[in-house]
Amino acid sequence: MERYYAGIDIGSTMTKAVIVGETIVASVIGPTGPEHRKLADKVMEKALNQAGLRFEDVTYIVSTGYGRVNVPFADRQVTEITCHAKGLHSLLPTVKTIIDIGGQDSKGIKIDGGKVTSFVMNDKCAAGTGRFLEVIAETLGVPLEKLGEVSLSAESPAAISNTCTVFAEHEVINKLSTGEKITNLVAGVHDAVATRVYALVKKLNVEPDIAITGGGAKNVGLVKALEGKFGCALLVPPEPLITGALGAALVGKERYEHALGSGQTLTRSGQGLQEARLFS
Amino acid sequence: MAEGKKPRSLATQAAAKIAKFVRGNMSATLKAKEEGKKVAYAYINDGQDEIMRAMDIVPAWGESFAGVCAAKRDAEKYLQKAEADNFSRSLCTYATCTIGFDMWREELGGQTPPDAPWGGMARPDMIIGSAQQLCDPRFKWPQATQHYLQDVPVFVGNMYYPPWDPNRNHHEQEAIYVKYAKAELLELVRFCEKHTGKKMDWDRLAGLVDLTEKTWNLFIDTYELRKAIPTPMDTGDAMNTMVPITFNLATQDAYDYYKDLNDELILKNEKKQGVIENEKYRLLWGAGLPSWFALGDFQYFNDKGAVFPAEVTYRNAEKIERLDLPATNDPLERIAWRWVRFWTHWYDKARKRPGSSPKVERIIEYIEDYKCDGVVFHSAFSCRSWHAGIIHQAEILRKVYGDIPILIMEGDIVDISSYNEVDTHNRIDAFIETVDAYKRKGN
Repeated sequence: MERYYAGIDIGSTMTKAVIVGETIVASVIGPTGPEHRKLADKVMEKALNQAGLRFEDVTYIVSTGYGRVNVPFADRQVTEITCHAKGLHSLLPTVKTIIDIGGQDSKGIKIDGGKVTSFVMNDKCAAGTGRFLEVIAETLGVPLEKLGEVSLSAESPAAISNTCTVFAEHEVINKLSTGEKITNLVAGVHDAVATRVYALVKKLNVEPDIAITGGGAKNVGLVKALEGKFGCALLVPPEPLITGALGAALVGKERYEHALGSGQTLTRSGQGLQEARLFS
Repeated sequence: MAEGKKPRSLATQAAAKIAKFVRGNMSATLKAKEEGKKVAYAYINDGQDEIMRAMDIVPAWGESFAGVCAAKRDAEKYLQKAEADNFSRSLCTYATCTIGFDMWREELGGQTPPDAPWGGMARPDMIIGSAQQLCDPRFKWPQATQHYLQDVPVFVGNMYYPPWDPNRNHHEQEAIYVKYAKAELLELVRFCEKHTGKKMDWDRLAGLVDLTEKTWNLFIDTYELRKAIPTPMDTGDAMNTMVPITFNLATQDAYDYYKDLNDELILKNEKKQGVIENEKYRLLWGAGLPSWFALGDFQYFNDKGAVFPAEVTYRNAEKIERLDLPATNDPLERIAWRWVRFWTHWYDKARKRPGSSPKVERIIEYIEDYKCDGVVFHSAFSCRSWHAGIIHQAEILRKVYGDIPILIMEGDIVDISSYNEVDTHNRIDAFIETVDAYKRKGN
């Protein structure tokens, strides 16, 4: 009988769920926004429906992401660092360095055969994260999902010198008022984010192949700017938002099978599908 | 108003006594003023302890005061004071915290600012600075302080040691550095004599040098008891038990303290009583001063099954026989040799491992001696002396020693605005998972 393992990744702006058997049988990306964060159970429910499974059919569930401790129906919590490494390695096994650009933080992870060897995180400053791009997109009136595309038509990226998001927003408004083109401003903003991320990730002994995950990976302008900094093409997984949840499912699978191999059985938490705690 | 903080539980009774020790040092400066004794602003690990003690000068330690302010989460008012006078937020926050305190006291006509943690420090009669032994901000810190305490005389001595060069035999240069250091120490003696009106008692000084050497030996013997598995004391405690060796060197109190700690650790080892019940991971605190406002993070490591049986930070002593000091009866020369050799005695070992450096060699020695599974560095942004080299050390360590899990934490010694508890704990979680994965795969 095939066993199924689920991973649920509660990020700062997205909730993702993946179920794996021999392959990925379901993946769901939940809605954004603070009011939805506690609805991890709904995202999980959608994933179960997609796979045609019942909650009881899942052998083991691992939660990850910043909200991992708040998922009552998870059997184990594992950090997003470990899960990104595991998930990405399963998709792109040649990758040795991962850049993850999420809504509220960015990370660099060095891996060797799926095992984390070192990592760095920017968790104190919005510059270098998706939040920076969100703020600027709003200021310029460009839809977030179009931001990357707009940057590609820039003639000459504008220099954005402020690393603080609030002051960078002010700087963008000033430049806009002096007649700078939106395309150049958007490209300049991508360059500023890429510069911050590059400085962060370079603290690791970066080795190719390099992959990018998280919401930042969906922004073609940011990917291009980062490729310019790193001097090589970045690999982008087919769905860069789910690597953490996929990794969580795979960690669960590995743990369960390892326990079986040692003559033990990991038991489920016994909790049914419930809302995530402490978000309201 | 001070923010709330989690209490840290300590593994040893000796560590629990340290608050009284620190408080005693601070109140001693206030009492000294009442008794007409001279008080000097002093700076740690500068080779000047025995001279001050021999001249009955009471040291007021800015680094200790700033640490107390940070631990009580009550430093911001002093940092802001200094910042308002254009001191950059990225300068050493030990310095800016105490300068802010000094500024405020001068504004109050010499009265201690209200609600100063543990009563604050006394206004000094002199400032005895030293640079280069430990960190470069201490060149300018005493001078910047004098900007506000203009009637207070300043002495800044320099205790250099040969720089690391893998292609050069530093032993050929050591005597020159010792000669220079001795001359600086003699200058300090003259400075102290001038400002205390007393003559140096050279026999007393020699006796205090003997006491310091005895204390160094006992300190290392005591800390080596932590090699036991499970370890009876970890870095969370050592950030307390470092006080006597750091701030009370050349006093009987310091020696007696380590005698008590030694007895306690022997007893704990006999009972196999570790810091935690189930010691799963042994880590080395590889470099960096801690965030004094977040010492509870050591508890967080402990809760994950991790202990720190050793640390580089504040292990500022060595077995005297290991330093192989030349014989001399001159107490100043003995101090100079001891400190120069303290910094250079890893050079020979580092030279034997191509690509290594003395700092990395020291880390490797502790990893092996204390059977550590990973290394944690703390990059305190305002402590340039540690902060700047940490990534380089981590890279060299991996290159010359091999693949070992390394965590670089980020924060500051005093400035709490640099710290985010949730994210720090997230990093620790990820690191522990990494160490666990290494151990499971037998790396």
